[in-house]
Amino acid sequence: MSLDQTSAIALLYRRIGFGATANELSSAVAVGYSATVTSLLGGLGQPDPGGDAIAPPSFTPIPSDLAQLRSDVAARQAYFETLRTESRELITWWLARMIASTNPAQEKLALLLHGHFPTAISKVRFPQFMYQQNQLMRTQGSGDFTQLTQAIAVDPAMLIWLDASSDKAQDPNENFARELLERFTMGIGNYSENDVRAAAYCFTGWRLNYRTGAFSISALDHSDAPQTFLGHTGVNSGTEVIDIATNTEASARYVPSALWSHLAYPVAPKDAVVSDLATSYAGDHNIANLLRSIVTDPQFATPTTQSGLIKQPIEYVVGALRVLSVTAAEIQARPAGVLEVLAGLGQVPFDPPSVGGWGQNGYWLSTAAALVRWQFARRLSQLGDISMVADAPRRSRVSAAGQLLSIPTWTSTTAKALSGAASNPQNLVTLALVSPEFVSN
Amino acid sequence: MGEVRSGADDEQQRTLSRRHFLSLAAAGVAAGGAAGMLGPVLWDQLSRAGAATRSSGSLGSTTGRTLVLVTLYGGNDGLNTVVPYKDPSYASARGILAVDPSTVLDLGDGFGLHPAMPRFHKLWADRHLAIVQGVGFANPNYSHFESMDIWQTAQPQDPSGTGWLGRWMDKTGADPLRAVAIGPTVPTLLAGDKVQAAAIAPGPIQLPGSAAAVALYRSLATTSRGEPALLAEAAHSNSDLLEVNTVLGAVLNKTAHANPLHLTGAQAPDTSGSAGALAIANGGGGTSAANVLTTQLSVVANLLLADVPTEVFSVELGGFDTHTDQVDTQAALLPQLDTAVGAFLDAISSTKRGKETVVLVYTEFGRRVSSNASAGTDHGWANVVFAAGLPVKGGFYGEPPSLTNLSEGNQIYNLDFRRVYATVLDQVIGVDATTFLGGRFSTVPFV
Repeated sequence: MSLDQTSAIALLYRRIGFGATANELSSAVAVGYSATVTSLLGGLGQPDPGGDAIAPPSFTPIPSDLAQLRSDVAARQAYFETLRTESRELITWWLARMIASTNPAQEKLALLLHGHFPTAISKVRFPQFMYQQNQLMRTQGSGDFTQLTQAIAVDPAMLIWLDASSDKAQDPNENFARELLERFTMGIGNYSENDVRAAAYCFTGWRLNYRTGAFSISALDHSDAPQTFLGHTGVNSGTEVIDIATNTEASARYVPSALWSHLAYPVAPKDAVVSDLATSYAGDHNIANLLRSIVTDPQFATPTTQSGLIKQPIEYVVGALRVLSVTAAEIQARPAGVLEVLAGLGQVPFDPPSVGGWGQNGYWLSTAAALVRWQFARRLSQLGDISMVADAPRRSRVSAAGQLLSIPTWTSTTAKALSGAASNPQNLVTLALVSPEFVSN
Repeated sequence: MGEVRSGADDEQQRTLSRRHFLSLAAAGVAAGGAAGMLGPVLWDQLSRAGAATRSSGSLGSTTGRTLVLVTLYGGNDGLNTVVPYKDPSYASARGILAVDPSTVLDLGDGFGLHPAMPRFHKLWADRHLAIVQGVGFANPNYSHFESMDIWQTAQPQDPSGTGWLGRWMDKTGADPLRAVAIGPTVPTLLAGDKVQAAAIAPGPIQLPGSAAAVALYRSLATTSRGEPALLAEAAHSNSDLLEVNTVLGAVLNKTAHANPLHLTGAQAPDTSGSAGALAIANGGGGTSAANVLTTQLSVVANLLLADVPTEVFSVELGGFDTHTDQVDTQAALLPQLDTAVGAFLDAISSTKRGKETVVLVYTEFGRRVSSNASAGTDHGWANVVFAAGLPVKGGFYGEPPSLTNLSEGNQIYNLDFRRVYATVLDQVIGVDATTFLGGRFSTVPFV
């Protein structure tokens, strides 16, 4: 069973963007689903006039002699304070960018890739490296997945995050090799422990120059011993390992299943819905094409998908701010409130809890999160533009709230509760923002 | 051996205890007057009432005991926590990472605690710390996530389902407050099919809006027949929040700025009420603030001191994945564990409730015996589990695994982790462990 066109387009906007405003939805309905797919995905790899207008923070250069900071306590504390300040500015910048974006599919893809290659500032520490990785996901994220993985592997943030930068030929550190296979490219169960160890040897000697951010391979620390990796003999470079891993049949199912799981509903790589996606993805490894295959799959615009995901907190907060016309400038002027909300909901951009990234669905539905959502919704109903509801005659305010939030139909339970608040538009919008329909994606 | 009570029975008992607790809390709030502080009178009242309720057996737990789970994410290196410092293989395998034998806190039998754990050492001397050695499961899994999922679901064959205590919640009543996680999200171990434990952030609970707005929120939070599962779950989290507010709101608000662990400086709990206090600091790489765990356990102490009808609490600390710089990382994290758990047990030890509280500390796997070339250790297998508290019978349990007879460089487990769970299900929660563990596991006599 498919969704009606309005519901399908509203779903599309939520899943490959941050939701449609009332105007966006009505314009899109006029041109239809297929044209909307083309226009939204057409933004991938293109400029983003709205988002690009948000200036990135300027970062204090990394001191040329980090070792010196070890002995100078005052200088170290001052520098750490600088890092903390600039990290907050970086987080605020990305949120502002997502709010202001006129190319939301690209920002959304960057967010999904951040979840796929989770890297946390709490360990990386230098915000300029997190910024660099974030830009990489934006500029290369929709292209070839193998090339993207190669680029992320030698990018400073990942080199620090998974300890590659201190690895040596003898007794290699397995951290990066394991996560590369398990989380980034293939999925568990498709490689052996020997493959992990062989891969780890291939990544030995990978080095980062902290001052310049430059990647190099230390000949002294790199193991040249030929390894057998996933049945390929004579492998001795990390680049080969990534090429082999991303070109496996397992990876051709794993990558589409990971994206489907975040755009439609959670699936395993073996599930039937992945099969067609895997066939076309195996041909080109192109993420933009994969996104198109996903949102045009017959299983996508269905009630199963519509009730298949809870919004991640970043999607929830950004989506709510966008539909209530709170501007990026307002958030940048007073960022603490939004950061607090995101922390309270359990998802701060650039700070996933571990290399496993964030959980999904039920993970976001705690009582602690319910309270923070409600408090946020209340404040937003006071700060945001709710005139669409307030100006509507009382008896049509419930449907006006659906229009404001691009939720074409309310369940009878929600409609009844919202009707009870029809005399007070702020209360009505608050309730609508914490309704299961808006909390889900 | 306890047995699983019927759902109806349980519901009745829960309602009784809930009503009793609430009526006292309401009386206390009224008695607190304009200042709005919980006076000592109320504390005494609550405490006495709790004791009375307990002895008549009307709380959910049949033992009157409380379980506090401390999950260490990242795989804490047990070998450098409970150090086999007299075994020559230890120093040779660990090289520069080996803990200096002159600094360990001796435990006897050739073992010593990491020097940053004096409070655990005191618990050991008082015979209130059990160290279970060689714990793990067959077919080790070196993935953080699968391994942690196995620990939290207690289903090594298919660790994708419900948590081991989530199943206990599913089976014994619909109350989300039987277990409470401190933080923004609920760990798998407390997620059932029907019930998810409540989560609370440190700080007060302030429902936004008027009583009328709350009433409308309540009507929104009901589920309708045929509603998709995820939407129903979202509605449930809203109604569970109202339940949290009704039952725990008064206590949480009165104690929002309390410092029951009496810690100062960097270890003092964050009582700013900032929802972000925990989430931001608890990242990887051992860079956690020093008060992440003390902040969480302060909340648990406040709730236990008020004798709330919650039987299981979950707290957590991350950053133990020491592939590099292991020495510095453990030296930053283990004092946090030591201080938080030690001060927590001290804070509650004089109360009846505190005398019946057991703290269990575990992590997803041990670490490789030999160090890697990055001054760290990679993922391993067998590890130690700590149990602490007055009901705990101190001492070593299980067999220390060999440092020379290894599997892929890792110490081999000899005690299934589900035996530890069977012990706490049986002795702390008071239910038949077989029901929840999918098999019969003999207990380990540490409680």
